[in-house]
Amino acid sequence: MDAATELAPLLSAVATGDRQALRAVYERQSVRLFGVANAILRDRDSAADALQDAFLRIARRAHQFDPARGTPEAWLAAIVRYAALDMARARGREIPTDDPALGDQPVEPEALERVSASAEGRRLRQCLATLEERNRRGIVLAFVHGLSHAQIAAQLELPLGTVKAWIRRGLLRLRECLA
Amino acid sequence: MIPPGMSPEDRDALAAEYVLGTLEAREAAAVAAALESDAALAEAVARWEARLAPLATLAPPEAPPPGLWDRIAAALDPAPPPKARGWLAGLLDPWRIGAIGGTALAAGLAAFILLRPEPEPRLMTVLLTDRDQPAWLVEADGGGLRLASLNPRPAPEGRVLELWALPQGATAPTSLGLIPAEGRISVAPSTIRPSPGMLIEITLEPPGGSPIGRPTGPILFIGRLARATGT
Repeated sequence: MDAATELAPLLSAVATGDRQALRAVYERQSVRLFGVANAILRDRDSAADALQDAFLRIARRAHQFDPARGTPEAWLAAIVRYAALDMARARGREIPTDDPALGDQPVEPEALERVSASAEGRRLRQCLATLEERNRRGIVLAFVHGLSHAQIAAQLELPLGTVKAWIRRGLLRLRECLA
Repeated sequence: MIPPGMSPEDRDALAAEYVLGTLEAREAAAVAAALESDAALAEAVARWEARLAPLATLAPPEAPPPGLWDRIAAALDPAPPPKARGWLAGLLDPWRIGAIGGTALAAGLAAFILLRPEPEPRLMTVLLTDRDQPAWLVEADGGGLRLASLNPRPAPEGRVLELWALPQGATAPTSLGLIPAEGRISVAPSTIRPSPGMLIEITLEPPGGSPIGRPTGPILFIGRLARATGT
């Protein structure tokens, strides 16, 4: 009944070169995935380029989707994120951001309530809650908004080295917590 | 190139930062290349993808520009068939220009292109489920509305989905009709026009729709029409 049970067979069909199946994936997922790309690039034209790039990758790599490793939604979102991140890197994101509005809204505590209501989402939320606030913000700014270490450091007004160390430590804490 | 002597700890941290997105271009490219042949690294990356995947719901869903699918389909074709010549190319055909009178035609075309009004920003919204998953795409289409399911699922047995619009300032919603099972409907109501800020909602109703002309069942999906920014 849910989207996952429907997307997995569609991806198998995409792996055989079925264009209609790819289009069906696009129709079901493009609004969500465009949002993922646009959150990273904050520019609709670039986000459209990233989504196009991602769908070419999806067409080529559909055979690599392994349901044992995760949901089809997560697999699709990961490909879109990598395509958008590649574009953000090419655009030169290693400079600090001066976008004042960036990240304000999605990293408020209540925003974390919007992390997927699935069982995995609930666990991740609980584990994120055990992290220090700035640590948690850094992880969300990187994952959702595609910020580099330097941009996160500027956003949180912390030294670059501190941010790098905190994010790494935060990821390790998350891994332990989720184990 | 991933150093071969890297400790398992460091390799896992590298996988984590690859997934998080904080690696610089060169490091990220090195990891992406290594994934092809390094099964352990690929496994570590897949695990991190699964761990962090729920964060993706923090990105607000947004409709892509219309025509993006066509661009993707065109890019997928290794050898696209030659494009039919558009009307503009036809008009600019030198033979025809010669026959009709090139200067006047070219001037007229230039004026047409320059004076053509900017396309109006489209009004649209994405109706979300109570779990913030995008469920329906609603777009204004001329004076009407077009609704398409993004995640089709049937209405519960013996009930129907009814579409409503509530213009800003109005006190009661107007029914736009029942949503057919295939999850697509275009409506052109005579009494209201799509306008920014208009609430669009879908309620669960008895067969045949609400008997009293206003919603009787729960609101399953709701959203507000807004101008799509950009293209």
